[in-house]
Amino acid sequence: MTRISIDPITRLEGHGKIEIFLNDQGSVENCYFQVPELRGFEVFCLGRPAEEMPRLTSRICGVCPEAHMMAAAKALDALYHVTPPPAGIKLRELLYSAFFVTDHTTHFYALGGPDFVVGPHAPAAERNILGVIAKVGLEIGGQVIAARKRNHRVIEMIGGRTIHPIAAIPGGMSHPITEAQRQEIIAVARENVAFAQFTIQLFHDVVLANSDYVGLITSPGYTQRTYYMGLVDENNKVNFYDGLVRVVDPDGVEFVRYAPDHYLEHIAEHVEPWTYLKFPYLKKVGWKGFVDGKDSGVYCATPLSRLNAADGMATPLAQAEYEQMYSVLGGKPVHHTLATHWARIIELQYAAERMLELAEDPEVANPVVRVIPTQKPTEGVGIVEAPRGTLTHHYFTDENGILVEANLIVGTTNNNAPISISIRRAAEALIHNGEVSDGILNQIEMAFRAYDPCLSCATHSLPGQMPLELIVRDASGQVTHHSSQYVAPELLAEL
Amino acid sequence: MSNGADTPLLVVGLGNPILSDDGIGWRVAQQVRTIMPANGSVAVIEACVGGLSLAELLVGCRRAIIVDAILTEGGVPGTVYRLRLDDLPGTLNLASAHDTNLSTALRALRRFGADVPPDEAIWVVAVEAQDVWTFAETCTPEVERAIPAAVEAVRALLKQPAAAPRE
Repeated sequence: MTRISIDPITRLEGHGKIEIFLNDQGSVENCYFQVPELRGFEVFCLGRPAEEMPRLTSRICGVCPEAHMMAAAKALDALYHVTPPPAGIKLRELLYSAFFVTDHTTHFYALGGPDFVVGPHAPAAERNILGVIAKVGLEIGGQVIAARKRNHRVIEMIGGRTIHPIAAIPGGMSHPITEAQRQEIIAVARENVAFAQFTIQLFHDVVLANSDYVGLITSPGYTQRTYYMGLVDENNKVNFYDGLVRVVDPDGVEFVRYAPDHYLEHIAEHVEPWTYLKFPYLKKVGWKGFVDGKDSGVYCATPLSRLNAADGMATPLAQAEYEQMYSVLGGKPVHHTLATHWARIIELQYAAERMLELAEDPEVANPVVRVIPTQKPTEGVGIVEAPRGTLTHHYFTDENGILVEANLIVGTTNNNAPISISIRRAAEALIHNGEVSDGILNQIEMAFRAYDPCLSCATHSLPGQMPLELIVRDASGQVTHHSSQYVAPELLAEL
Repeated sequence: MSNGADTPLLVVGLGNPILSDDGIGWRVAQQVRTIMPANGSVAVIEACVGGLSLAELLVGCRRAIIVDAILTEGGVPGTVYRLRLDDLPGTLNLASAHDTNLSTALRALRRFGADVPPDEAIWVVAVEAQDVWTFAETCTPEVERAIPAAVEAVRALLKQPAAAPRE
């Protein structure tokens, strides 16, 4: 049997590894996706005051601390039996929208975008943010940096700090914003709306206008039919901060809609001996292995999943593009993994518009942003949509508010099984007769990259742009092919 | 972005402060803060970021010293390395899987006209780690013992003239 191994040099947000085994005919026999999970977070939390959790859990991750802070704060609201005042809730969602704008912008231009904007077959040294800039122009690169900067400023204003904000606390927020700050945020949000429109136009011009790319997106190697999950508001529209968890089946029919504190009735976790990371699945469908379809409990929780699980977007520009995507890709639900990139910029548009709506509401500058908890703490669940998937925090305390149990299901963990299926399917479609090229390896990695995986919710990163290492072994276990996505700085083309 | 970097020299302690040896950068930075000159020429910050976010922290400074954990093949925990940006096989936190590595990010920022220091004005003090997978607020004993040596390495670099010639 031939063995192909895609293994990062250090850690991919916790060191992921992809191994592909080929049979004697040189076709894919099996495929494994592994990550060594970081150890002991639950134990680390035990015995600590519950109110430390928003700050503590935000430290798990250097990429989406805002998501952990929000899930933790919402879990604490439930734990302390308190509902934040309207301004407290709106301020949280305002901060969260600014965070989504930043995160989705960065992913599109720096990580996911290079595959399309620069091209899936482009040399690895060009598939990065510099390559994108070379293709679309320096001025746009400047806009990406400016977008990050102005939204970081908003996060700092509301959250108290730019990175690892601290302002969300049980019962609301630690401080209000001023009317002047609200006006400043309105201006930022307007720029964001325009920038998102521009980004969508760019996607149309560069990706959708290219029939090869559309063919790639809709090809069988990047297609799988699973259940889809996402938070929805009372009108079944996508919501990042709050709502009910809705799951639709592979035909797009609502399977279940549940309140966060019922998650354990619907989600169970499968364990495999070859990986530390668990595989969440729909309890009522059951674990049937790494297969898609209606009989398999595998579900997906990504930007595309959120759009599939909802009936639409709550803001007009995002809704228009939502309709456009489903029209072009043949109706709901869309099962093409690479369409996640399109879904992500539709969410970018929504986040920008929602941010503007919230900022234009004078209520967000109301000085009453917190209700002081007065009841004894017990147990609480908080769910938000993190950029990479549904994020669940669940805490139990004693009557003094000291943590006695904690359970977290982080964004990417939801997608552990779908990622495994995606990688296998792409590999099966691309590898024939044992022939493996850099282009093929990159296209396999594209299936993985569409999820923007953040595996152990750690802060760890890598020397390169997701430097996956890939090893091909023949039937006797000998290495016949070895490549690495790691790009040494000196190899970067002067762009 | 506020980063305390509008001073000529910036020391960044990098890593996750609650993940055992990954927090070594923070521990060293906290010690460095106690020995830095009182003339305001040096700023010390702790951060848990990589890639673009890290590059953005360097905007406005003339020189930077980044302290981070590193894992090398067969490395002895607690070993202190002094590296240039282009020496790096990659320390644990210098890059971000979600955008790009520091070198590329700095290059991108320069292209946009941002005021970041040249690569040769950026030093990395890396400490060989042992455990970067277990949540804990303390480093392992071997790595803990390396803190004075790492602080000394930073102190020596602080004394160097800007953009010292490559050794």
